[in-house]
Amino acid sequence: MFIRDHNIGKVTDHDGNYLFSDMCEGIYSFEIKFLGYETQVIEIDLKKSESVETILKTEDRLLTEVVVLDHRDPVGKASNYGVLSGKSLEELRGKSLGESLQNITGVNTIQSGPAIFKPVIHGVHSQRILILNNGIRQEGQQWGAEHAPEIDPFIATSLVVIKDAGAIKYGTDALGGVIIVTPSELPLEQQIGGQFHLVGSTNGKSGIASGMLEGGIANHRGWGWRIQGTAKKSGDMHTPDYNLSNTGFQELNYSASTGYHKEGKGFEVFYSHFNTTIGILRGSVVGSTEDLAIAMEQEPPQNTKPFTYQINQPRQEVKHDLIKLTGHVRKGDNLFNIQYGLQINNRKEFDLRRGTLNEVPALGYKLFTHTLDAEWEKTRERHTRSLGVNGMAQDNNKIDGTQTLPFIPNFNNYTAGLFWIEKLSRSNWDWEMGIRYDLRFYNIVGFDFRNQLYRSELNYHNVSATFAGTLKINPASSFTSSLGSAWRPPNVAELFSLGTHQSAAAIEYGLLLDEVTNEVRSPDEVNFSAEQALKWVNTYRIQKGKWIGEISGYVNYIFNYIYLKPRGVTQNTRGIFPYFRYTQTDASFIGADVSVAYSVSNQLKLDSKISLLRAKDETNDDYLIFIPSSRYEVSMRYDFASGQTWTNPFIEARLKYISKQNRAPREVPVRDIIEAKEQGVDLFENDNRNFDFVDSPDGYFLASISLGISKPIHNSKFDFRLSVDNLSNTAYREYSNRMRYYADDIGRNVTLAIKFSF
Amino acid sequence: MKLYFKSFILLLLAGALTILSGCNNDDPEPENIPELITKASLTFTPAGGGSAVTVTATDPDGDGVQDIKVDGPINLAKGKQYTLVLKLINGLFKPGDDGYDVTVEVEEEGDEHQFFFSFSEGVFSSPAGMGNIKNNVSSITGSINYLDEDVNGLPIGISTSWTTADAATTAKSFRVILKHQPGIKSSTSSSLDGESDLDITFVLNVTD
Repeated sequence: MFIRDHNIGKVTDHDGNYLFSDMCEGIYSFEIKFLGYETQVIEIDLKKSESVETILKTEDRLLTEVVVLDHRDPVGKASNYGVLSGKSLEELRGKSLGESLQNITGVNTIQSGPAIFKPVIHGVHSQRILILNNGIRQEGQQWGAEHAPEIDPFIATSLVVIKDAGAIKYGTDALGGVIIVTPSELPLEQQIGGQFHLVGSTNGKSGIASGMLEGGIANHRGWGWRIQGTAKKSGDMHTPDYNLSNTGFQELNYSASTGYHKEGKGFEVFYSHFNTTIGILRGSVVGSTEDLAIAMEQEPPQNTKPFTYQINQPRQEVKHDLIKLTGHVRKGDNLFNIQYGLQINNRKEFDLRRGTLNEVPALGYKLFTHTLDAEWEKTRERHTRSLGVNGMAQDNNKIDGTQTLPFIPNFNNYTAGLFWIEKLSRSNWDWEMGIRYDLRFYNIVGFDFRNQLYRSELNYHNVSATFAGTLKINPASSFTSSLGSAWRPPNVAELFSLGTHQSAAAIEYGLLLDEVTNEVRSPDEVNFSAEQALKWVNTYRIQKGKWIGEISGYVNYIFNYIYLKPRGVTQNTRGIFPYFRYTQTDASFIGADVSVAYSVSNQLKLDSKISLLRAKDETNDDYLIFIPSSRYEVSMRYDFASGQTWTNPFIEARLKYISKQNRAPREVPVRDIIEAKEQGVDLFENDNRNFDFVDSPDGYFLASISLGISKPIHNSKFDFRLSVDNLSNTAYREYSNRMRYYADDIGRNVTLAIKFSF
Repeated sequence: MKLYFKSFILLLLAGALTILSGCNNDDPEPENIPELITKASLTFTPAGGGSAVTVTATDPDGDGVQDIKVDGPINLAKGKQYTLVLKLINGLFKPGDDGYDVTVEVEEEGDEHQFFFSFSEGVFSSPAGMGNIKNNVSSITGSINYLDEDVNGLPIGISTSWTTADAATTAKSFRVILKHQPGIKSSTSSSLDGESDLDITFVLNVTD
């Protein structure tokens, strides 16, 4: 509150009361200002003590996108990262985690049909990236390219992707980067707040309902709680021309948390449950290479039936539970954090099987993971030091009764790590240096091809380090460079896997299986090493006038890169099969991410994004399979002025071009493999170059449009959004989607989303 | 609040102890593998007596790298009628155990299984043609003399009838496919439908 011409000001108390005392009679002009509200001026002819009450009107002002980041954690000032939060995340509500993350430049997905999205950072995925779900390292059966992360993105208020290697604090395996899924802080206020989302889409006739309630606890200041849940149901998706039979999915997730926060200390308990059933395209089921050839030759895919919500075989049923306990204490400059997490991952995969076996999963695993992390952080002006330990114990067991040879063995895994990070701030520079040491021990028991029990033990230990700096060139621009090393021991699937995995007419053998006899060999007898990556990322950021730009270039060189190499063709009673062995090579991933935004006016904004990537098998001078091709995107957004009752209307149009992957392995058609084998020729015996059954699909354009408007009612608000994806109903196939062998990708999809927040 | 905090730390320590005690070294139970076929045998029994001709295909290592061993050739006499009976064996079970004879199961679930056959043209007078296995280049619509049927009256093919041609020929082929067609098998379904459980080719001679 200001009194004009007198230079007197007062700040109201929490309830909005104010008092100016000892005033003289006269005419005063009061100016009332509050952030987010329209400034009001009231003229008062003061004769005696008077009470003046005003209600402020909310101010509608268009803000350019504001990203609020806690820069200490999780992202250092010297990191290369991308963020989805606030408005940009709200507009993706209803999409899966992997699908949402595609909106960050440099992040793509490996897909298995329309509902399984696995995030890919700069060309690497699965066990080479780390996902932190609410601070806990997500542990499921990551080895499968069709095993999507078990996380409900409705939990998150920010999704951060650190594109540096070895974000050193989080442990081994982060060769490509780290994905951080963060919910908002628990509320401290007593009043109850919440959000409800309803999302409906035409493709798949899907519906999503998600809700969240949070609040404080009366008479217990500092306590907060939140409950949240999401339900999704989708039937078969469809391409522009035909139904994709058995591609529906269902999901039911919920979480609850409570915690106590006070200056200097706090603790929190968090529980979440994730439960999904995902159908896999019926037409992709094959029993032999001959079947595969038939399946690929048919369009629409074999056994295409009319739309249904029913999910039959093949399908995945996955449950993931997480219990997390965290606490922190601050003593002066020192902050102590401790967190414990228990994850129970339960995965069942159902295939088409004979008779009653049809109801029995062909693959089933239950994985328990305990993690314990403790960290000490000392913050002084311009210098932060943190030291910490991470411990993990895992127990993986097959679900008994699958009546199949287990694809991966049972195992116990014990991992311990130590890290030390120093962060320095100088006037123009921010520095970050880190080093970590990890130990891992595996105890394995499984069954070989004869169904005979075997045991094995493995030990690994290694050091990784990062060094990064950001130079503030001037107030408008900065340059970040980071060089990091990371390592990853081969996981059990890469070491021991045996057999065919869902919907793939190929046999896979682990690194430890003998090339001739197929026996499991002792790790001492086999020459193999851990993967070791060196990643260098450079980012230049500029924000000048109406321009915001970011350009980032990277080189990731992975030594002893583990991949499935074609090694030959074998014949069993079901027919002819190509077989692959996990093999090591040196691979390079070189690319660039560019994003440029230009604000033509306060209303009109243009945006463009480019991500380029070139991946190569350096040892064999060959290309790697399923590497996302380069992609380009332009978008235009117009924000209209808000009206009295309706606010923030906008319209946004987006055009994407996904190029053909020209750096794909050679094509070897299935029929060629079969015919050669029938003539007694094994096409891969002496030519181990990578291959693909079909050539990479052509490039394609995808257009989308979205419209939105909000309606505030008292203290609550409705947001409406209507979007159309694949506007022109284009038939296309995406190189990194494994469904491309059998069917086109999904056609036009109209989505209506309503959000109610209070 | 101090009390809350202390009990919380205790809870964390309890969690840490669970980590240390989470070890489980018991041997896992081996699975039965009922869907594996390690051996397939074809027995041609001549009508009106005479010695039967049996050929087998054996898989030494399941999903291992070694190819199946196919013996033979199938030597049939010209101008003679034979009954072919197929037998599928899962060698991971002991003879006599349930699951050892896979043919029993195929018969029980006859409404979702069918055997298909193809052969070089001219080796049989009945069925004539090249059999009923379709491929992508030509749509062969030959018939087979099925001797069995499922609950819906559709053929299974564990037992079939064959009459050789009147001329001797050598080094011809004889292929058998078993298709699993759950919910698919009908009077119009073919060898292009469903998943292959068995696909083996033998050499066939018709002798004087």
